[in-house]
Order: sequence, then structure tokens, then C-alpha cells
Amino acid sequence: MRLGLGAKFTLTVLIFLAATTAANTFYDLEASARFHEQQLVERGRALGRLIALVSPEAILGFDFLLLNDYTREVSTQPDVVYGAIVSPEGELLSSHIDETEPFVKKHMPKGPRTALDLLRLQAARDELINLRFPISHDGKILGEFLVGLSREALHEEFRRQLAVKLLALAAVVLFLSVAIHTVFRFRVLQPVQRLIAASQDVGRGLHALVEVKSSDELGLLTRAFNAMAEGVKKEQDKLHRQANFDTLTGLPNRLMAFDRINLEINRARRSGQRFAVFFIDLDNFKGVNDSLGHVAGDQLLAAIGLRIQAALREGDTVARLGGDEFLVLASDVASEVQVEKISERLLQAVAEPQDINGRKVLAQCSIGIALFPDNGDDVETLVANADNAMYQAKTNHRGSFTFFTNEMNTRLRKRVQLEQDLRAAIELGQLKLTFQPIVDTSARRHRGAEVLLRWNHPERGAISPTEFIPIAEADGQIVGIGDWVIEQACRCWSKWSQGGVHPGFLAINISRIQFRRRFAARLAELMSSYGVPPEALELEITESVLLDDHHEIAEELDRLRATGVKLSLDDFGTGYSSLSYLKRFRFDVLKIDRSFVAGLPDNEDDVLLVKAILAMAKGLDLAMVAEGVETEDQLGFVASQGCDFAQGYLFGRPMTDDAYLDYLRGLQVRSDPPRMPYARRPHATSLAAKEPMVRSKEDTE
Amino acid sequence: MSLRRFSLLLLLALAAGAVQAAADPLTMGVFPRRNSAETARQFAPMAAYLGERLGRKVTLATSKNFEAFWEAVREKRYDIVHYNQYHYIRSAQSYQVIAHIEEFGKSTICGAIYVRKDSGITDLAQLRGRTVMFGGGEEAMISYIANRYLLERAGLRNGDFKALFAVNPPNAILALDHRQSDAAGAGDSVLELPEVKAAMNTDEVAVLAVSPPLLQLPVAVRRDMPAALRESIQSLLVNIGNDEAGRQVLKAASMTGMGKAEDRDYDPHRKLAAAVFGAESFPGRGVRGTP
Repeated sequence: MRLGLGAKFTLTVLIFLAATTAANTFYDLEASARFHEQQLVERGRALGRLIALVSPEAILGFDFLLLNDYTREVSTQPDVVYGAIVSPEGELLSSHIDETEPFVKKHMPKGPRTALDLLRLQAARDELINLRFPISHDGKILGEFLVGLSREALHEEFRRQLAVKLLALAAVVLFLSVAIHTVFRFRVLQPVQRLIAASQDVGRGLHALVEVKSSDELGLLTRAFNAMAEGVKKEQDKLHRQANFDTLTGLPNRLMAFDRINLEINRARRSGQRFAVFFIDLDNFKGVNDSLGHVAGDQLLAAIGLRIQAALREGDTVARLGGDEFLVLASDVASEVQVEKISERLLQAVAEPQDINGRKVLAQCSIGIALFPDNGDDVETLVANADNAMYQAKTNHRGSFTFFTNEMNTRLRKRVQLEQDLRAAIELGQLKLTFQPIVDTSARRHRGAEVLLRWNHPERGAISPTEFIPIAEADGQIVGIGDWVIEQACRCWSKWSQGGVHPGFLAINISRIQFRRRFAARLAELMSSYGVPPEALELEITESVLLDDHHEIAEELDRLRATGVKLSLDDFGTGYSSLSYLKRFRFDVLKIDRSFVAGLPDNEDDVLLVKAILAMAKGLDLAMVAEGVETEDQLGFVASQGCDFAQGYLFGRPMTDDAYLDYLRGLQVRSDPPRMPYARRPHATSLAAKEPMVRSKEDTE
Repeated sequence: MSLRRFSLLLLLALAAGAVQAAADPLTMGVFPRRNSAETARQFAPMAAYLGERLGRKVTLATSKNFEAFWEAVREKRYDIVHYNQYHYIRSAQSYQVIAHIEEFGKSTICGAIYVRKDSGITDLAQLRGRTVMFGGGEEAMISYIANRYLLERAGLRNGDFKALFAVNPPNAILALDHRQSDAAGAGDSVLELPEVKAAMNTDEVAVLAVSPPLLQLPVAVRRDMPAALRESIQSLLVNIGNDEAGRQVLKAASMTGMGKAEDRDYDPHRKLAAAVFGAESFPGRGVRGTP
């Protein structure tokens, strides 16, 4: 049972009150009982002394009738149960028992009985007050007068008074209960209940102050509550702002943006109107952060947020979703044309030069657009589709806007499915390594192989790395996959080597996502575990890796070089081909992309490009590998131009590990074991490039 | 003064004296075998009865003790007196018995010696050297004198046993019951008394010896009382049981009747007293007694 505060307080007070009053009452009654018992004893003593005084004459005169009169008279006195006179020898001379006494009725059997019979009862000794008075005459003991007094009347009176006082006490307690509860209810409970109600209002987010009606503790409590409620409101406002607004730009954040889209969905459903969601992502914002610092990046974001807001109609919403992503909600759009105009305003607003710390900074963005209800009828779908459209815009042409289409959706679903399938691919053994031989161009002797990754999807068959590697890099799976590739390569090399076959070196492609601080340590750990010497490995890195923080990249490349492995700059010529990279970072090998080799020796542009690259490599003392060599003419050309190594279908397609082992045995490379073929040059300085690359290779080389 | 005038004055004087004599109350004394209050409760109705019937007030006189009572007897302060047989034979020169009482329907009473049944005493001779409790005192006609007579006849003279005296016969038998003596001397009807029955189990005592029957307590008047008055009083007492008022008087006095008595009816008492006391037949050592 739940007791309220008033009931608990009243009950506590009443328990103490009842206990103390009852104790006091009981003490009074006890004292009264003792007093009355003392009075009774005194009365018995008075009787006894009187009888002892008058009895000698009767005893001396053998006047037993008179003695009987005495004992009878004594016994008729109130509360006297018996009176008796005994001789000094203990002979009973006279005895009278009051038959009407309750004690006698209760304890004494019917029939002749004397006071001595009664005195033999334990109950008489326990319950009666038994007094004895000597009877003497001239100093001679003549006998003894015995009188027994009953406490029954005292007890009855005690019980009566107890009942009366308990009734009075109950009445007092009842009265006080009502009085205390009434006072407590009006003076304490009602203010407390007002505070409770106000607390509940505060809990519901309502700002409710309670009127201060007294200056006592409850008044102080009410004041404290009001102060607390105001503090809570301030904190709530603060939290609401923190929860719903972006602290950098002051714009609504993702949460509020989604809320507003939800509201807009409901409103648009009622009105039958359309609205548009714009997903804005700044292009190359990372470069700003890297080059100007994060503070400058933040200033740019805040400025762009203001400009986007200024470019919109009143009532439209702009929110910062995080990083360099913004979202715009444009209500009540009549047509795609209107949406395009809004998009163009947004592109212009972002593209305006911004003065950051005295430097003009140019930015641009890609915009994805989703329309309600055409491209989704809930907030998640609309934002996801706008994001997807933005991705498409960024892929197709940066600095543009793209409307979401169902094809994008299909592609997205396919991509998501592929992501899920890829997660299980390693465990299910669907990923395999293949090896494509690399030979020297002078004697066409085998030197090693490039390790390539293959995914045999159970439903879709072989899936190209150009399709799944970007997905793996986007969701981070590339770290696990890359680690698996290196470990498998090391295992194969170790197995082949222990089997008496010299496999040469293995060139392994490394994604920029893998390229992190722990990578060198992990590589060294795997090499140690499988007993792979550093000259047996070559790491192929694309220019995209070098786009990241130069200092960190340089440190990581140093750590890798310290392990003894060779570093190869892959696909040179297809990206930025920044000469500054070759200058800043030291590589051992430069690989000419197959797109340049394919036109040799007839295409003049390719001839000129390959000649220039080879001349530059020679100047930087870099070993060269021509990829995609498929004909003797191509081989003859690159060999004649001083290219050291070649790779392509002319020498062998990518093979499974078993096939590659057979291939090695067939070449009997053991009699002419490959040596590290690449000449070492002091260092190579790379050129700058901006475009990130996807680290994937087709097996078409 | 002429003879006629002297005669007239004489007649008036005699008439006044007669009226005065008729108006003087009679005093009826009762011996204090019970306390004064009880005595007054018992005998006030009789005094009233007599006064009403005699046309003359009868005043009841109680005494606080036997000494005071006997002093009044000796000084003849009672016109009518009710006392024990030994009192009468000692005061017979001043008082003349006119009636005796009846108790329990009997006009006589015997002395009786009692013992407890568990005492093993079956013969008076066994009382030699033992204690005998007598009711009243040495002047008690029935309780003491008659029983001493029985003991004398059994060969037990004064000193052969220890004599104790209870205040009255009921107390003598109660003293026996309370083992204060080996035997008790009282009247043969003492066990019938309500106060005795109430105070003890009378089945626990037995009668060891009984004296010859003796006439009950006497009622006497002064010998100088006019004969007419004496006869009127005697007639009223002897016939008191004939009407309802008289029976109520008897009941109040714990009597069952009254009979006519003459002086010679108490000669047996005189014989027993002489046998007990011998030359000191009428000792003057105090007057305490009861039948």
C-alpha cells in the first residue's frame, strides 16, 4: 500500500503521541493502582490492629463466638476475603471466609473450609494480600490474626479506568489525526502538490513558475524550485540549440533538418504540393583544410552557409549535416525548372570567392536533388536519394547539380548488395589471388609477378576489381581485404619458396585507405611471420596516395622503405602525373600505364609520351615497367627505348596460385633465379596531382 | 377540721397514692448471659407485652456484666427478674419464683459433659488430670454445678482435673472443638443452638455423661410485690403462648413456652449445689453463671 506524505507524517506523529500518552496513562494507572493497593493494605492493617487489640479478652475468656463475630465482621468488609485467628500452636480458633468474593468462588471448592484451607492455595499466596498481626496480652502471645485482602476490586477498577482512558485516548488520537492531517494538508501538502504539478510541467518541457505564498521553508523551497525551473529552461534551450543547430554555422543541424522535412512532408501531403531536397557537398574541401588549416576551413563553411541561406527564399531551410555537407529544403516548388534555378543560385552562391585570412579562396559544390513525392515519401528516402544524386553529380561532373533518377536507385541498391556480399566474400572463400608474370625486356626472363585480386561472385560470376575495390574503400572493408591480400601473397611466396621454386618478387597494390601509420608495422609483422625477405615484395602505390598529408606520407614511405621492400609508382601518366611527387617521394620503380602502351608503336602521341616518360625515368634513375604489353612490336619498342621490364598477355595472363606455380616450374627459373632487377636511383621527386584514384586493376593487361 | 373534711382529704390522698402506684413503671431485669444489645432485642418485646397487658409500663433493665446484675438483685432494684436457677436459690429470700421458661419444647434441662469423638475418652474417670472447660462460671447451674455434681459422683473432686471457664456454654463446646480442653461442661441442648451449629461440626463431639433433669431458668418477682400484681404477671407469663402476640414474644426471647413454677421446684437445684459446694454451698466469690 502506498502511503502519502501526509499519511506518513500524521501516522508518525500519532504513533509517537499514542505511545507517549499510552505510556503516561499506563504509568498513571500503575501509580494509582499502587496507591490504592497501599490504601487497601493500610485498611487491612487497621482492621488487623483493631482485631488484635480486642481479641485478647475473647481469647482469654474462650469466647469463640465473639472471635467468630470478629472474623465474620472483618470478612464482611470490602475486599476482605477471609479473617482468621489462630493459636500460637497454629490451631485455628476462628475463621470466616467471604463466600461472595470472586476469588473464593473461583478457587475454593464448595463445602466446609477454613481460612487455612484457603491459604494452602498457591493462588491465595499469589493473588491475595495476606497480612498477619500478633495478638498478645501482657507480653504473652495469644495467637495471630490473619486477614486476606483481594486485589480483584483494584484490578477491576484498573481495568475500568484503563478502558475509560483508552477510549479517551482513542478519541484524542482521532481528533488529533483529523486536526494534524487537515493542517498538514493545507499548509504542506497543497504547496508540495503545486510543486509536484509544476515539476511535471517542467518534465513535459513547460516553463511553469509557482507562486510563493509563504516565507517559511516551503516558501524557500518554492523559490529554489522557481530558480531551478528557470535554470532548467535555460539548459533546455541550450540543449535544444545544441541538439538542433550546428554550432559552427548557426544553421539547423541534421536532426532539425529531418524534423522540418517531416513537417514539410505532412504539409505537402495535405496541400498536394511538391518540395525539393538539395544535398550539397563541397568539392575538394579537404584540400582547403590541408592547405589553409582547419580554422580557415571552418570560416569557409560558415561563410558558405550564410551565402546559401541568402540565396534561398524566406521559409526555405538550409542545414549543415556535418563536414562539408549542407542540405536545403525548398518548399512549394512548382516545376523542375524552378528547382534548377534554385540549384544554379546555390552553385553561384558557393562559387563566390571568399576572403579567408587575406587570401581569396574559391570553392565549388556538387548538388543532388530529390523531389517529393516523386523521389520518396519519407525523410530518410528523400535525403538518401538526394545524397545519391549528389554522388552521381560529383562522379559525373563536379560543380554541377543532378536530379535523382530511378536508375541511381537501382545502382544504389546494387551497390549496397555488393557491399553486403563483399563482407562475406573472404569468409566464403570467394576472393582469390592471381599472379601475372613480369619479365625483363632484354632476355624475356621471368622476374616476378603482380598480385591481382579476383572475386568470384556465386551469382554474378567474376566481378571486376574496378567495381568492388571502390566499394571496399568507401565502406572501409579495403583495410581487411588489403591485409588479407598481403598475408595470402606472403603465404604463397613462402610456400613456393619452401617447395624449392624461386618465385621472384611479388608486386602488391596498396590502397590509399590502407596507407596509414600502422601499415608498415603490419607489413613487417607478416614478412617476419612467413619468412619473406624484403626484396621479394614490391608495393605498388598510385598517385592518389600522395594526395594526402605530405608529411605523414613521407614518414610512412620512410617506414616502408626501412623494411627493405621496393616502392613502385603505379599507373603513371593516367592521373596528375605530378613531377613534384617524383621529386618529393623516393620510388624504385615507375610503371607505365597500359593505355600508353596499347598504341605502340604506331600511335605517334603514345610513342612520344612513352619516350618522354622513359627519358624522365632514366634521368631519375628509376626502373621502368611497361604494362599491357601484348605484342612483339610493343615489346620491341619499349625494349629499344630502354624500358627494363614488361608485363602483359604477351608473357602470361593472371594465373591462380597453382597455375602460377606450374608456370614457374615450367620456366625452371631455379637454374636462373631472378634477382632484384630494378636499378636504384638516389631519389625521385613526384609531381603534384589533385585527383584521387581508385586502386584497382583489371586483368586485361 | 371536721371529720367529713378529714375523711375527704384522706380519700383524695389515698386516691392520689393509688394513681401514683399505678403509674410507676415496673423494672424487669435480665441476667447478662448475652450482651446488652442482644438481651434488649430478645426481651424488650416481653417487657412491652407485660406493660401493655398490665396497663403499667414495664422497663427492661440490662446489665453490662454479672457483677452489676447481681448487685441490682441484692438491692432488689428489679420488680421482675429472669436469671439462672442458682441465682434464684441464692436470692429466694427477696424474690419469689412465678414461672420457668421452656427451650426446645422442654421445661427441664440437664447438665452434660462432652468430649471429642477422636479423643478416646469414654468414661468420666479418664478426665482425671485433664482439662475441663465449663461454660459460664462457678455459679452456672447447669454448665458447672450440675456437671461438677457428675464429676463428684465419678470420684473426681476439685483439683483432680483442671477447670477452665469459657464465657458461656456455647463457647465451652467451641473450645472443646478447638482443642482448648479435653472435655466441656454445658447443658444438654447446647449442640442444638444455632450459633454452635454454625460454628462447628457437632457430629465430632459426643456426650460423656448427663445429669438428672432440672427445671429451666426461673422468672421471679419481688416478694413484696402485691399479690394481685404478682398473680397477674404470673398469669400473663404462663399463658403467654396462647395468643399470637405472646408467641412472637417467646420467639424473640428464643423460648418455646413458659410454665408456672414454685419455690420448691428448685429444691433439686439446691441439693446439687450443696453436693458440689458443701459447706460453702453459696459462695460469694462473684456471680457469673448461666444454666
